[in-house]
Amino acid sequence: MGKNVKLRLENIDKSFPGVKALDNINFSAEKGSVHVLCGENGAGKSTLMKIINGVYHQDTGNIYIDDKLVEIDSPTKAKEHGISMIFQELDFVPEMTVEENFVTGNWPTSKFGKVNWKKIRKQAKEILEKEGLDYDLDTKLKDLSISDIQLLEIVKAVSYDAADIIIMDEPTSAISDTEIDLLFDKIRSLRERGKSIIYISHKMDEIFKIADMITVLRDGQLVATKPKEELDIETVISLMVGRKLSENFPKEDIEIGEEILKVKSLNSHRIFKDIDFNVHAGEIIGFSGLVGAGRTEVLRALFGLDSYDSGEIIINGKKIDVTSTNDSIDNGMVMLSEDRRRYGIIPVRSVKENTTLANLEEFIYNGRLHRQKEIEVVEEMCEKMNVKTPSIDTDVSALSGGNQQKVVLAKWMVNDPDIFLLDEPTRGIDVGAKFEIYKLMTALAKRGKAILMVSSELPELIGMCDRIYVMSEGKLTGELKRKDFSQEAIMKLAVG
Amino acid sequence: MKDLKLGDKFSRIKQKYGIFLVLILLFVVSSLINSNFLSVRNLTNISRQISITTILAFGETILIISGLLDLSNGSVLALAGLLSVSVFKMTGSLILAFIVAIVVAVFCNIINGIMVTKFETPPFIATLAMMAMARGAALLYTNGQNIYRIGDYTVFGQGSIGFVPTPIIFFILIGIVTWYILKHTRLGRSLYAIGGNEEAAVASGINVNRKKMLAYIVNGVFVGIAGVIFMSRVNAGLPNGAVGFEFEALTSSIIGGTSFSGGVGTAGGTVIGAFIVGFLNNIMNLVGVNSYVQQIIRGGIIALAVIYDTRTKKMRTKSQLGNVE
Amino acid sequence: MRKSLIMFMSVLLVLGLVVSVGGNEVMAQEEYRVAYIARAQGDSFAAWLANSIIEESNKYENIDLQVFDGQGSDAKQNSLIENAIVNEFDLIIIQPNNGEAQRPYAEKVVEAGIDLITTNARIDGIEGGSSVDADPYMQAAVVAEMALEQVPENANVVVLNGPPGNFHASERRKAWEAEFFAKRPDVTIVGEQIANWNKDEAMRYMEDWVQANDHIDAIISMNDNMAAGALEVVKGDPEYNDILSYGVDGTAEAVLLIKEGRMTATTLQSAYALAERILWVSDLLVTDKVMEIHTNIGNPVVTSENVEQYIEMHEKAGNL
Repeated sequence: MGKNVKLRLENIDKSFPGVKALDNINFSAEKGSVHVLCGENGAGKSTLMKIINGVYHQDTGNIYIDDKLVEIDSPTKAKEHGISMIFQELDFVPEMTVEENFVTGNWPTSKFGKVNWKKIRKQAKEILEKEGLDYDLDTKLKDLSISDIQLLEIVKAVSYDAADIIIMDEPTSAISDTEIDLLFDKIRSLRERGKSIIYISHKMDEIFKIADMITVLRDGQLVATKPKEELDIETVISLMVGRKLSENFPKEDIEIGEEILKVKSLNSHRIFKDIDFNVHAGEIIGFSGLVGAGRTEVLRALFGLDSYDSGEIIINGKKIDVTSTNDSIDNGMVMLSEDRRRYGIIPVRSVKENTTLANLEEFIYNGRLHRQKEIEVVEEMCEKMNVKTPSIDTDVSALSGGNQQKVVLAKWMVNDPDIFLLDEPTRGIDVGAKFEIYKLMTALAKRGKAILMVSSELPELIGMCDRIYVMSEGKLTGELKRKDFSQEAIMKLAVG
Repeated sequence: MKDLKLGDKFSRIKQKYGIFLVLILLFVVSSLINSNFLSVRNLTNISRQISITTILAFGETILIISGLLDLSNGSVLALAGLLSVSVFKMTGSLILAFIVAIVVAVFCNIINGIMVTKFETPPFIATLAMMAMARGAALLYTNGQNIYRIGDYTVFGQGSIGFVPTPIIFFILIGIVTWYILKHTRLGRSLYAIGGNEEAAVASGINVNRKKMLAYIVNGVFVGIAGVIFMSRVNAGLPNGAVGFEFEALTSSIIGGTSFSGGVGTAGGTVIGAFIVGFLNNIMNLVGVNSYVQQIIRGGIIALAVIYDTRTKKMRTKSQLGNVE
Repeated sequence: MRKSLIMFMSVLLVLGLVVSVGGNEVMAQEEYRVAYIARAQGDSFAAWLANSIIEESNKYENIDLQVFDGQGSDAKQNSLIENAIVNEFDLIIIQPNNGEAQRPYAEKVVEAGIDLITTNARIDGIEGGSSVDADPYMQAAVVAEMALEQVPENANVVVLNGPPGNFHASERRKAWEAEFFAKRPDVTIVGEQIANWNKDEAMRYMEDWVQANDHIDAIISMNDNMAAGALEVVKGDPEYNDILSYGVDGTAEAVLLIKEGRMTATTLQSAYALAERILWVSDLLVTDKVMEIHTNIGNPVVTSENVEQYIEMHEKAGNL
């Protein structure tokens, strides 16, 4: 195996003011192999990847590529060494077309510096055909879903940049099962072509499907590097969290109460049609379906982010006209968006301000914000939700994805609504944080809240929900009770 | 490790008080260069000089924090001040004149607000249009002529309470109002959120358009008051006065750490920014720096302030990140 | 949204057209069409002049005058001149923003066979073109001569300049240099800045100069607005009771200050006198009584001795 090593990290140390992020890490990636890296938030995996990608520089330690010592001091340098990284949180220019996105920073030009668009178009078309994707080259990125863009990113790194070492940071967090299959096929073909893939993920079933090697980090230290065959899901999770998890899903039997939300033949032209469902107090309802089936759109319409054409929304027996988010919030219905950075957080403001944003009137006395009360409530909430932040005055942008998500949830908890609409609540966050969010959902249900969750992760829906509605192409195709839950049953309804 | 901690401490001080340190430095250097700089009279003089543009800068800060902008404040100031002067000449009522200035400026800003919220015009364009319209209206009203002999109207800008000149009193009061709005009210919090991420603010149930309109109205009140002080200080109704004030206000606000991308900025920072500009102009005149050179220096300072601001912000994010990751 | 905005704009545009067409209809057929292209309606002297010219033109039944605003921009003014040529006016009067920049366009007017007057300031040496002006050099020179006598020995003075590149600003400054500073090497300039003709900017500079200097004996300003601004700063300060101050223009504010004894002297650049002369020349040109004429109005100095008559003049004009 030794001579097969493509990338080798030796005794890597990295400190940030006040914290040791990486402690003597040894890590290697082999040719023609998929090396999965897992660990909780703050375990140091992002830092490690940023060192490989040249965003940070290690304090001590060496990096070797093909057994040659290399100095990677910028992402450009990393690229020159054949390292390509696909980020979990996508940064893209919304106004760019698919075609332009393909060649950003890499424009083929003529002798006179003129961009050769003809050539670009031809290449882009060929690649999309080869990869089995049928996007119109002139579509703007803003009109694509996150999953589409992520797939494009992967295709771009693989086909265009001809990288030998490909780092994927949770590439499947935003894409559906069929697209995951497509991605895994691609990863396998890359492996056959001798590429080294470093794959960061929290999804256990996925990890075991694709990994050759698994490395687990915890608190900046490497706790295990082993071939997949020597590990199982339980072991990996316990290595990650440093404790044994008795259950993946903390589902409890809760008495179902009154009907809280009822939706009658909700319509939105060309997006969804005749949506009928209800949710009771203490009930967790799942919405399943493929990406683009219209699940998110139903939630957005209910919450008032988009308008709907016809239909009735009844909360606690009262018919509500939802024309803006105010209408739903005032009636005790809140939503956690799948796109946390766009609809969830105010990145440049503090944890405190984000937490109280939706319920400021609670803290106003004679037109003045009651600072002390605000601090008390936020600190209590952060403790309850286990938000990891240096202080409640830290900007939310400085927190990890899981903690940002907790802050958004905390905001709604302060509001204390009756109905929670959760759109992919655990996307892009690690196992530990996921588990905390599940626990929270259970706690909310226990308090008689109604929860409606859209998720692309079937195990999560099956593990947490009391009932699951399945959507396909804008229509409800079925409703399943807990005793009838199975991946097969859901998929059958999801494909129509 | 020890070095790291010390450096860390220093960088933290720099982040927190960065622009304030620049002000102190400028203050010390100015005192050394010219003996006249450090006198109560001169410092009062500077405060009085910056009072009008800083009042505008407070409004500008509130707007920029909300992701908005006002390029029309100089022109609206002139229109509001002019109409106020002429109402005073007609009626002799100071109170009525004061109210007229505010009403006119608020009216112009409501139009700005409507353009921005209802017609979804970018604030830059909407207020650029208002800048031309208000100036045109001011010139039209007096046929381009100045109004003289404004009598007691001068109390607003030339009087003083105790030994403190009235412009400085307005400056302090409006500064406190701005600080209070931004720090202690629901409106302030909402504006930070809107500027920081408008879509998330909508999703949090904030009535974004109403808050934006309120931001413009507050700005209008400030601009109206500035108009009264301005005309009173120059002892005339000048339809062509306050040209370019929008840029001075913007400069103070930006140097004071208000971020053009929205969501960040404070009243205190704006005061510091205004004093940096004020000290700089004052010391350059005391020393007798050539007009053209002054322009170059002023431009350079703006560029430096923005570079400094971006760099400290990066440092701040990095050190915060280090604590979590 | 965008649609309604466009609608709104179109309505404005149409309204504007209707109003201006309506204005044209009044015009009788026998009239000569005269275009007056003003430097900038926002400049208070230029506005005064434009108003005076309009007023004066009402006395001539055969002249139909239209005013265009150059908005203080060369490009704007040049395109206005071109438009006026295309529209075949009988006479085009130009008050240049910057003489040299408008020269080729003024020449085009003559080439097109249209009568031309340049004024305030004239563009020199255009063959076939006429001019009416007050000489900016002389305007400053006459007060500078007074200052020569009045400013005490070894005096400290401050100088306030007009916008850079402005013809009147630089001519007036030249006059002060040649007629005063060159002859009085004992005088020290303790501050000199560009205050762009503006009262508020001049105030700001004066406030700083008062801090920086123990004593200032005289304010030398290229126009009255700036002089008035500087005086505003030292108003009521006993130390500056005797400060001398010189301006140019003879604005209503300046004559009042002279009457109060706070300002020393200014030269009247009378918009009425200019307008009167311009219309007189216009009439001669359009009726083909003369082909080319160059004329200057006088430069009366206003001091405390003769100030009453100028106050009367301004009162009559409704400026006071």
